[in-house]
Amino acid sequence: MDPTIYINERIDVVLMFHANSSERLTCVPWKMRYKTREIEFTVFGMRHATQKGKRMVHVFDMSDGVNDYRLELDAEHLTWTLVSMVEGVR
Amino acid sequence: MTYYGLNTEKPLIMHIDLNSAFATAEQQAHPSLRGKPMGVTNRLSKECCIIAASYEAKYLGIKVGMRRTEAMAICPEFIILETDPAKYNVVYQKLVAIMKSYTPKIKMKSIDEGVLDFHGMEPVLGDRTLSDIGYEIKQRVKDEIGDWMKINVGIGPNRFLAKQAAGWHKPDGLDVIDHRNLVDYYKTQQLTDLNGIASRYEARLNSFGIMSPLEFLEAPEYELKKKVFKGIVGTYWYRRLRGYEIDDVDTHLGMVGRQWVVPNPTDNAKHLLSCLSFLCETTGMKLRFREVEARGICVWATYQNGEFWQQKRMHKTTYYTNNEVYRRALELFNQRPPGTVRTIGVYCYMLTPSQRSQLSIFEDVAKQDWLTKAIDEINDFYGTSTVYSAASLVGTRLVKQKIPFGGTEYFDLLLKRS
Repeated sequence: MDPTIYINERIDVVLMFHANSSERLTCVPWKMRYKTREIEFTVFGMRHATQKGKRMVHVFDMSDGVNDYRLELDAEHLTWTLVSMVEGVR
Repeated sequence: MTYYGLNTEKPLIMHIDLNSAFATAEQQAHPSLRGKPMGVTNRLSKECCIIAASYEAKYLGIKVGMRRTEAMAICPEFIILETDPAKYNVVYQKLVAIMKSYTPKIKMKSIDEGVLDFHGMEPVLGDRTLSDIGYEIKQRVKDEIGDWMKINVGIGPNRFLAKQAAGWHKPDGLDVIDHRNLVDYYKTQQLTDLNGIASRYEARLNSFGIMSPLEFLEAPEYELKKKVFKGIVGTYWYRRLRGYEIDDVDTHLGMVGRQWVVPNPTDNAKHLLSCLSFLCETTGMKLRFREVEARGICVWATYQNGEFWQQKRMHKTTYYTNNEVYRRALELFNQRPPGTVRTIGVYCYMLTPSQRSQLSIFEDVAKQDWLTKAIDEINDFYGTSTVYSAASLVGTRLVKQKIPFGGTEYFDLLLKRS
């Protein structure tokens, strides 16, 4: 089975920019607000940049310790989208 | 003691192999999937094929190439995700960057494995052994790509033994095979454990009384060359097994093409021609990406009843535009026998370096070139199939480019289009 749940909704995100860390952890989402719920990320999975047409998109795979979230930052419009989530077992 | 004539050179070839690359990258991105049997497929469907399985899945007996239903029968909790090429490209690029920081002589064998050649780097290495560097690379992969990423490192005097060493203790192993432990290593292996020896070569070796890698090593060069392999391949194996370098050769680009399995086999010419047109467009793009022009073209098809058909033609002039590829392919495809087509493919051969920079005295040829350049620029800028031939209208929707196996030559092209 594919456990991915597709959401594709704009969200509010709080970011952390680290001055003295490896390139992998320079910019990491800290928490997001989705449907009035505030979710704090505890595990950083991976970040990768990709292109949608001419737009640069940064994809962050984050986890709150239970569920995994795929967040996309549109670098042209500076919008954050919760693309999908994978429900873990609590 | 038997004298084997082994290569006693210091082992300076390192082979690096990412463990279950795509599955591990997904587990890195999805912490909730770590430690669970999961796999990755190109196109999610009921009968889709698993192209990478996590170690937890492999432990249960789920193998790469299995159908989803077969995997679910073994483990009903088996999780399957679709591939994400951009994610794997980041892993690939970071791995290449790590490898390049140790030696300029690296060669990626595929998206998840590469070879580092340390010949000539001895003064830079100083007192450090290749094992020290191997452990450092393992740590850097964890720090720079992700803590779940694991690699196998193999060190040997030639590419063959380095790859064998990388596969010795999976996952997360680091082994050295050289003249000191080579014979002991062969004693622990089966013939099919050797890279390049599959069931048919095993049967051939068995028929000459060679039942194990050690007996393969003991076989005289003359016997391998004249009797077993009946050619120079026998000498290659004789030297390869002893640790002499045979495989440090650049492969020659012989053909460029595309094939596609028709999801619902059909004899509908309109449908098949649209797909053929799209395959020809991507073949044309590959030709231009590799900066070559072709003279020969081959179109082939397999039928629902198991029959195979192909038609080849050599042309006097070279070509590289999508239209030219399609026009020539269409001439051949129209000669196919009637029937329900299951797979269609097209490839171009007799490749020569591109001469596009030379101005043509014929105006129509120059116009074709300008048009192709303009379309390529638009598609590069705006992404997947922004401008394409009307003949490919159906094919563009149906045929999707997915993860390439084997070489990484087209990875950049794929990412432009993904």
